[in-house]
Amino acid sequence: MPRASTILLVVCILGFVFLYAPILSLIIFSFNESKLVTVWGGFSTKWYRALLEDPQILGSAWISLKVAVVTATLSVVLGTLAAYVLTRFGRFRGRALLTGMSTAPLVMPDVITGLSLLLLFVSMEQLIGWPAGRGMTTIIIAHVTFCMAYVAVVVQSRLADMDESLEEAAMDLGARPVRVFFDVTVPVIAPALVAGWLLAFTLSLDDLVVASFVTGPGASTLPMVIFSKVRLGVSPDINALATIIIAIVALGVFIASWQMRRAARHG
Amino acid sequence: MNETLTVAAAKPWATGSERPFVRIEKITKKFGDFYAVDDVSLDIWKGELFCLLGGSGCGKSTLLRMLAGFETPTSGRIEIDGQDMTGIPPYARPTNMMFQSYALFPHMTVEKNVAYGLHRDGMKGDEVRDRVADILRLVKLDAFARRKPHQLSGGQRQRVALARSLVKRPKLLLLDEPLGALDKKLREETQFELIKIQETLGVTFIVVTHDQEEAMTLSTRIGVMNAGVIVQVGEPSQVYEYPNSRFVADFVGTVNMFEGRVSEDEPDYISITSPEVGGEIYVGHGVSCVLNQQLWFAIRPEKLRVSRERPEKEHNVLPAVVEEVAYFGNLSVYRLRLDTGKLVQATKVNLSRSEEDAISWDERVWVTWGDTAGVVLTQ
Ligand SMILES: Nc1ncnc2c1ncn2[C@@H]1O[C@H](COP(=O)(O)OP(=O)(O)OP(=O)(O)O)[C@@H](O)[C@H]1O
Ligand SMILES: [Mg+2]
Repeated sequence: MPRASTILLVVCILGFVFLYAPILSLIIFSFNESKLVTVWGGFSTKWYRALLEDPQILGSAWISLKVAVVTATLSVVLGTLAAYVLTRFGRFRGRALLTGMSTAPLVMPDVITGLSLLLLFVSMEQLIGWPAGRGMTTIIIAHVTFCMAYVAVVVQSRLADMDESLEEAAMDLGARPVRVFFDVTVPVIAPALVAGWLLAFTLSLDDLVVASFVTGPGASTLPMVIFSKVRLGVSPDINALATIIIAIVALGVFIASWQMRRAARHG
Repeated sequence: MNETLTVAAAKPWATGSERPFVRIEKITKKFGDFYAVDDVSLDIWKGELFCLLGGSGCGKSTLLRMLAGFETPTSGRIEIDGQDMTGIPPYARPTNMMFQSYALFPHMTVEKNVAYGLHRDGMKGDEVRDRVADILRLVKLDAFARRKPHQLSGGQRQRVALARSLVKRPKLLLLDEPLGALDKKLREETQFELIKIQETLGVTFIVVTHDQEEAMTLSTRIGVMNAGVIVQVGEPSQVYEYPNSRFVADFVGTVNMFEGRVSEDEPDYISITSPEVGGEIYVGHGVSCVLNQQLWFAIRPEKLRVSRERPEKEHNVLPAVVEEVAYFGNLSVYRLRLDTGKLVQATKVNLSRSEEDAISWDERVWVTWGDTAGVVLTQ
């Protein structure tokens, strides 16, 4: 069967080239000496230095980072609670509705999520005066609404796999439900919580559309800054920035999948 | 085979003198329209080792889970040590349960697993350490205290689960198929350990099993369950020798069953006409029945005698052909075909090392039994 395996190998290589060639070229050109994006002018790290001296980029990166960390943390808390209620409380009134509603943001187009949240924030401000104006707070709220749905899905599958008698055993030994949750449930599903946190972090860092809708003056996230810069023409410092982001995201995905695998082994 | 019977010299269930420690009153559990446990009433006394025996899906675990508080009965009530358990959550009950799946906390060491319940009771420091060390020594796991559950063998995990449920010295210990995953030797060892623990700590045990041999070895009394109902409760020898129904006779041990009708009904004997025997069965004691009533005659394999010569007896002697002989070391099992075509099983203890003259395949033999060796069942 050498023919079949040769064909498979070729297809596989082509697939990887298709997926990773653009990223690879981006990384290579981020070390380009020349100002022209498409012409190689020798190795240099000057675009990384230029990046560090650009207050706009640094400022927006800092905002994005803060938004992503707060979003991921809130999403894990809320998503875990939703998942716990959905898997552990059996049949209760409105369970189907809650299931549907918690997963709807997964398939909702970003434009609609962003627009509807913008309308909500505007009318809330008129009615109760909060959130006053738009900025980081509104971005975080918006990100949490869709990130917690992803976290809920990840945690829910882990909870469903978990042996429920572990929780019963803890309760049998004298632990009240809240204790059981923190002593047994949380440690057992910890890998899913880490994976969910990283997923939410990446999704938040990545988001352009929803953030653009609900942001206000003075709160531009990194994707928004990059997007507006690119409209004026691609400059090599954007390549450098993209390379850094790729490195961070790759690291995050790697840690998340490593955690999941570890969890599967120790199940 | 039954050491426990001598231990439980006083039998409160027979005299009814003491107040029962566990009272289960008319308890029912429905899942949708399905009755998992159906109107079960049961009294269990202090210091008993009570075995719930029954086939898969008959509701044993459900009954145990209601005692532990994980399932709410649809109707009926449970009383433990004089206290009504209705509405009392699992963490407030005087029971501890050992789960069928062991349910060890995977992120804690053996030590921490065992200590968990003590910490929940507010116990601290040295006292916890001493209690944990004691109980781990008892189950011979002191060398493994620092390991995580996934670094243990199945038998060791089972002993951790046992230690964890014992360490709080609960008034009532519920064990759900505690020895299911062990090999025969380890199982027997652990059975004896269980009995020893029960004697030294004086805990009341309720043990679920579907292994009738285990139930016989362990228990002071057995409750046989079928389809959500307790069919018979009694000491192992009672359940074995005097089953009250065909189900119990068949489920506990092996039995030969003959269907027939009453042809003679006297105060001190009855006669049963059975087509499966090809004649009459003579039962040497009175039975409350009416003429021509349909009933079943059950007799255990070890109560049948097999011989080449026709025994000098009038009743209960049947000709047969040896169809199969199975050698089990300590005993031999004969499968015999009666002239009517019915298969019966007889066992014989192998007393000498080699029997040149042993009965073998295809021989014509006579099967016989004592007039009071069998049981007459009406349901
Ligand atoms: N949560 C549940 N929902 C619906 N049916 C259930 C539930 N739990 C148990 N049952 C049903 O109740 C019956 C009794 O179950 P149970 O677990 O008590 O059986 P068991 O006697 O312990 O059997 P086994 O020896 O196989 O463990 C089974 O038919 C089972 O399908
Ligand atoms: Mg069971």
